[in-house]
Order: sequence, then C-alpha cells, then structure tokens
Amino acid sequence: MRIDFLDENELKARFIISDANIALINSLRRAMKNLVPSIAVDYVDFYLNTSYLYDENLAHRIGLIPIKTDLDKFNMPDKCVCEGEGCPNCQISFRLNIEGRRTVYSGDFTSDDPEIAPVYDNIPVIELYEGQQLMIEAVARLGTGKEHAKFQPVSVCGYRIVPEITIDAGRCTNCGDCIDSCARNVLEEQNEKVIVRDNMECTMCMECVKICHDRAISVEETGDFLFTVESVGTLPVRTIIKKGLEILKEKAEEMNSILEL
Amino acid sequence: MVEEQEKEDRPLTGDLMFPVRCFTCGSVIAQHWDEYKKKIKSGKSERDALDELGIERYCCRRMFLTHKSIIEELARFHGAVG
Repeated sequence: MRIDFLDENELKARFIISDANIALINSLRRAMKNLVPSIAVDYVDFYLNTSYLYDENLAHRIGLIPIKTDLDKFNMPDKCVCEGEGCPNCQISFRLNIEGRRTVYSGDFTSDDPEIAPVYDNIPVIELYEGQQLMIEAVARLGTGKEHAKFQPVSVCGYRIVPEITIDAGRCTNCGDCIDSCARNVLEEQNEKVIVRDNMECTMCMECVKICHDRAISVEETGDFLFTVESVGTLPVRTIIKKGLEILKEKAEEMNSILEL
Repeated sequence: MVEEQEKEDRPLTGDLMFPVRCFTCGSVIAQHWDEYKKKIKSGKSERDALDELGIERYCCRRMFLTHKSIIEELARFHGAVG
C-alpha cells in the first residue's frame, strides 16, 4: 500500500492510495468522519436574550461554528478525571455580552484560552436591534461525529475507484461515439486514435463501453483509490488522516486482545 | 467612540442569519457571506462572486443564491409572541 498526495493544503487534500482494498479504505473514511474528535459548543447558558431568535435556535447556530482544536490539551468527557462532570481538562467556555444595535460575529466570543477560538471570526451569529441584548456563556467540549455532525472535523470526505481504461486498437474503428458519450471528457482523439486523457475523472458509468459497437473499450477496477478530504478548519487535514488511522489501529488491536483471551 | 466605529464597520444588513454551514455537505460557508454581499452590491454577477470566493460545489452555491432575509417579517410580530 502506498499513499501519494496529488495536492494538499491546510484545508483540503487529494491523494491516491494504491494497492488497497475497498473495506479498508471505507473504514478509514468512516473513522475520519465519525471517530476523529473535535471541539464544538455543546451547552449554552443564556443569562439574557432579548434578540429576535429563540435560545434553542441561537444555541444551534453557535454549535455549528468550528473551533480550533488542540487534541493534546483536552480529554474526551467520558475519559476525563472528572468523569464527565466538566472540568478545565475537558471543556472550555466562551463568553459574550453585547448590546444592540450591531451584528454579533463569531469573533466577538472571548475564550478562556486564546489558542482555542473560532476558526473564522467573521461568521454572523445574530443581528441585534435597538434595545436588544445578548449575554451568554457557551461551553465547548470534545465530541465525535458519531454523536452530532457539528463535531465532524471533515465536510467532504470520500473516495473513488481509479479505473483502468484500455482501448483495443485492433478493434477500434475510430467512430468517436465513446468520446461524445463520456460526460466527464475522459477520452479524446489524438492522431486519429482514441486515447485516455485523464482516468482520474472517470466515474465508471460504463457509457463508453455500452455505446462501443466494436467492443474495443474495457473499464476495469484497480486497487487504487482517489481520496478527497476537506477539513472544516478545526484540525489540519493531515492530522485528521493520521488520527483516523490511529483510531483504526487502536480498534484492530482491541479486537486482537479480545481474540487472544 | 469604539461603538460608533463598530457600527460603521459592521452595519446591520437586514438579513436574518445566513446558515453557518451548507445543509448538504456541511462545509462552513457563513464566513464568506459579508464578502459575497459586497461583491453583489458592487455589480458583480453571482457566478463571478462565488467563483472568486472559491465556492465550488453546487450545494454550497445554492445556499448563497437562494438565501432570503426574513428579519422584517419576524420583527413585525415581535412582542406578540415573545
């Protein structure tokens, strides 16, 4: 198995995993989506809310704001020394006290720890009009995507099989029907021959195989997968991938130890 | 003084709450909202504005295109219900 990164930055990565099987790749995808923890607001104390929005509505909006996460700093609440009661080791609070008239942005929250703050400070949370006031304390904690989608560190996280497209030059009559039938422009004509332009774009719809009268095209699965991962900003993409693999390994080892008994 | 400055920097827009995340893919989009509105106001087409902001998928794009302000409607009934 090998991993090659095609392009990568802090928020988005595209890579190819070669010689793998689909079960493993899918479990990695699910681990990244559901099991990698990140911080989100989970509990909000409303001291005063005279805005146009209901408390619940507002709490939901605040929960969706991504917060920069440091996995070494916090424990999962159920594995913390406080046994889920809530202590500085497993939660962090954000305070806000603003009077209208103005828009409240995510950057207006004052955090206990300056390093743990909203990823973007220009997300509009609510608009306050004259005489309206908002005084809240939002408590954030670690959680996993299994529990609520707001804890998911990734937005887009999926893979695609990289196919092998072969064109039998002996059979092909260069009618060009396959080129027109392809919705993703995978094939093209060069020197009066049909060639594969970019097999990464292929979604294996098999339209070219169906339309070919001469049965010259074959599209086959390989053991290569094109993975796309996009982070919401709470964790860098590489950390998410690493953490996902770590969690998978942990689970496999746990299984092993059960079998040994 | 500070408050007055803030008023100018962050004017009220009359829009009620652009969704923080895209309903379909879950990517965070609200940080682009102010910028998007500025671009539209300056006469750019929606297509160009969204392309410049780097919003690629059509699920996220429709969040911008179809957003409708409802704060005025809500404000009319304020006091009657809460």
